[in-house]
Amino acid sequence: MGQKDLTVRFCGIAGDGIVTSGKIWSRASARLGLDLMVNDNFSAEIRGLGKSTTDIRISSNRVLSMGDGIDVLVAMTGKDAIADLAHLKDGGFVIYDTEIDDDSIADHVLSAEIPDGIRSYPIPLTRISNENTQNTIARNIVSMGALSYLVGLDPSMFVDIIESILKRKSEKLAAKNVAAFHAGRQFCEEHYGEHTSIDAPGGASDASLINGNEAIAYGALDCGLKFFAGYPITPATKIMEICAKELPKLGGWMLQSEDEIAAISAVLGGWFAGKRSMTSTAGPGLALMSEMINLGVMAEVPLVIANVQRGGPSTGLPTKVEQGDLNIALYGGSGDSPRIVMAPTNAEECYAGIKLAFDLAEKYQSPLIFLSDLFLGQHTVVNRIDRSQDLNRSTRVKPNEGELAGYNRFADSETGISPWVAPGEDGAFYSITGLEHSDTGNPNFDAAVHERMQAKRYRKFESMMAELPAPTTIGDDDAEIGITCWGSVTGSVIEAMELAREEGIKSKLMVSMMINPQPEAYFRAFFDSCREVIIPEMNYSGQYAALMKSRYGIRPVEMQIPSVTLPSPKAIAEKIKEVHYERIAETPRLTVV
Amino acid sequence: MNVLQKRHVLQSFERAKERKAREFRDNLPTWCPGCGHFTPLLGLYEAADELGIATKDFVCVSGIGCSGRFPFFIKGFGLHALHGRAIPVATGVKLANPELTVVAVGGDGDGVGIGGGHFPHAARSNFDLTYLLLDNAIYGLTKGQTSPTSPVGMISGTSPYGNIANPLNPTTMALTFGATYVARVFSQDRENVSRLIKEAIAHRGFSFVHVLSPCVEFHKTVTYDSWEDRVSSLPEEYSPDDRVAALGRSESKEPIYTGLFFRETGPSYKEKAAEIVESLRN
Repeated sequence: MGQKDLTVRFCGIAGDGIVTSGKIWSRASARLGLDLMVNDNFSAEIRGLGKSTTDIRISSNRVLSMGDGIDVLVAMTGKDAIADLAHLKDGGFVIYDTEIDDDSIADHVLSAEIPDGIRSYPIPLTRISNENTQNTIARNIVSMGALSYLVGLDPSMFVDIIESILKRKSEKLAAKNVAAFHAGRQFCEEHYGEHTSIDAPGGASDASLINGNEAIAYGALDCGLKFFAGYPITPATKIMEICAKELPKLGGWMLQSEDEIAAISAVLGGWFAGKRSMTSTAGPGLALMSEMINLGVMAEVPLVIANVQRGGPSTGLPTKVEQGDLNIALYGGSGDSPRIVMAPTNAEECYAGIKLAFDLAEKYQSPLIFLSDLFLGQHTVVNRIDRSQDLNRSTRVKPNEGELAGYNRFADSETGISPWVAPGEDGAFYSITGLEHSDTGNPNFDAAVHERMQAKRYRKFESMMAELPAPTTIGDDDAEIGITCWGSVTGSVIEAMELAREEGIKSKLMVSMMINPQPEAYFRAFFDSCREVIIPEMNYSGQYAALMKSRYGIRPVEMQIPSVTLPSPKAIAEKIKEVHYERIAETPRLTVV
Repeated sequence: MNVLQKRHVLQSFERAKERKAREFRDNLPTWCPGCGHFTPLLGLYEAADELGIATKDFVCVSGIGCSGRFPFFIKGFGLHALHGRAIPVATGVKLANPELTVVAVGGDGDGVGIGGGHFPHAARSNFDLTYLLLDNAIYGLTKGQTSPTSPVGMISGTSPYGNIANPLNPTTMALTFGATYVARVFSQDRENVSRLIKEAIAHRGFSFVHVLSPCVEFHKTVTYDSWEDRVSSLPEEYSPDDRVAALGRSESKEPIYTGLFFRETGPSYKEKAAEIVESLRN
């Protein structure tokens, strides 16, 4: 019996090939039929001696989070990896270079710190790299060979992948690197035995990988996106880059604007012209877009904004994760300014969710903010998205002949939706404005008109409620502890529930991609069935908890998941246990002294 | 109000009556009698009529300010956007549906104040837009504050001791930013207003018309009279094909030249983008 779950951390500085190591390891794992999740951790600076790490968790079960701790540390540098030793789990091991910088000092620095219970595998990575490639740059490939041997994986898959990556550069380079890979394996075979083995289901040679940013971009392209305008910002830029490349192939266009204000302005113009349009951004960009979002609300023009959250406020922590933009998404506008807010919980929901986002925004003529985050956006997972379905359809409500005669752009209706004629279409014309206006669209500041139009704009959200997807529920129906959360922490929460269950503590989860509006009836029934509700989220002030409290009148146990680092399933499980023993259990928690 | 200004006010009423008879109209303008904006509005009607642009294909995008009300007075699709954002919104409309004729309208505060960051990029990109900048050298809708084109020394609520910042010259800006059609016209010059707006709309790429359009209500120093004394048509021998020569003329203070400063033909943004899209189709 091998190991079911294994997390490897590749640690180094710029030029150590950390990202390449991660790519090779994750591709090979996916082809072995393993599920996986990748977490790249860069400093915000591109060059210099900034440390970078890539963690890859692989498992024969579904990987929902990065879990807690690492099993293997592959240290390309000595000193920088010392801090990472603390994350190694008992029984784990560390691979390190005995010849860093041509003197053997660095490895001693590291080896002296290796704690008990951790096996170390010193390997002359630099020397082996030099011998095989006449260069030190293939150290990461040597370490990959060593790693594949120590965890008992078949080398052929790795060789294929190394060749496919490097053959594009040159055949000779590929051959040298393959030799370096084998030499790394051979060294371990000669000096050490296999450390462990992994249960690999096998048979998924066509497995591909995807991250949330890619899923959002492909989802948008697959559901009829025609126009994209954006401004580069970490960690959302990838969405824009994919659209730049792919949209022209579909007859559309990506415009790189001079700033986020121009980008959202152009997107509003695109929607005004009746075409599916979007932008992507992160917190600081969303703040700049606030005024145009308000125009979208007032003039009933759809907007689709994929906001990939990063640490804030202000420029904040551009390369770190935080769920901090919920408030600005919900409330970031002057006046009463309702908007649709969605938050996908995984890559598949990024894809399916952005399609729903376009459908809702277009039908209800409303700005929509799609709250992804750095974790979702940049974490590579196995691609389970089926792109073969034709999702390309318009949900625009158009006027019938009767409505076209005496057409009013903002005609009131039961649903609040007014039939929409776009420029270039016959039969009617009108002007829209950010000023309050009557049914015709002409400015009008009468109190009665303002009240009626406000009610119309809000009524759309009530109408929408009927077609929202039901929330996801997971866990034991009879559990007394309920959990609700949003976005990317959901995977860690599900894993935490399993950990608590191992201790006999039941819990249940309700989570919806729809933040506003939300399928409220489900949530009310759910909260009614719970004695205690826990709301874990990755921000300081409890933004989602505040929304839940005001919307449902509940008094939840709020849990702040520290941002920057990734959510720890163990810590969330601990909170579930704490709530159980302190508020529900009749017998106190047993503590081992 | 002196005699000359009274004459302008009367003329503007005449124009308001006249424009009711034209095809491109909707609501009656809400501007002050005598406002400089009536003539460019009329010019836009005439241009659209003469170029045969269908109502359904005509989109007027504006910013905020007195000029921002343009869309409501036009028979066509209108988009009264945000302060300073007429250009980027118009860009989105045009890129999403290149079949539409898109005209952006704004004032001096809107275009070179709050929205000043968009102007260079629309010009350098050569988007297929016409941009009318109605320059009255004052913030009119907020009742007369100093604007980015106000003269040095101007007294207003926001510069009670006299404006000490140099004014911007929108014509020079357009020339420097790389606009491919640049004209300046005095709003009193009815014939040339219509002619230049029509030419601008027909131009392929980014066309810019700087309209000197007095605010009769609030401006005490920049008026019909002050401009009438200073404007002069570009000399007959002037040829609008040299950007550097055009800059010399646009910077001239006495006289303030009007007419077509510069025109360059070449592929517009729309045409270049279409070429890429077409190449990917194969």
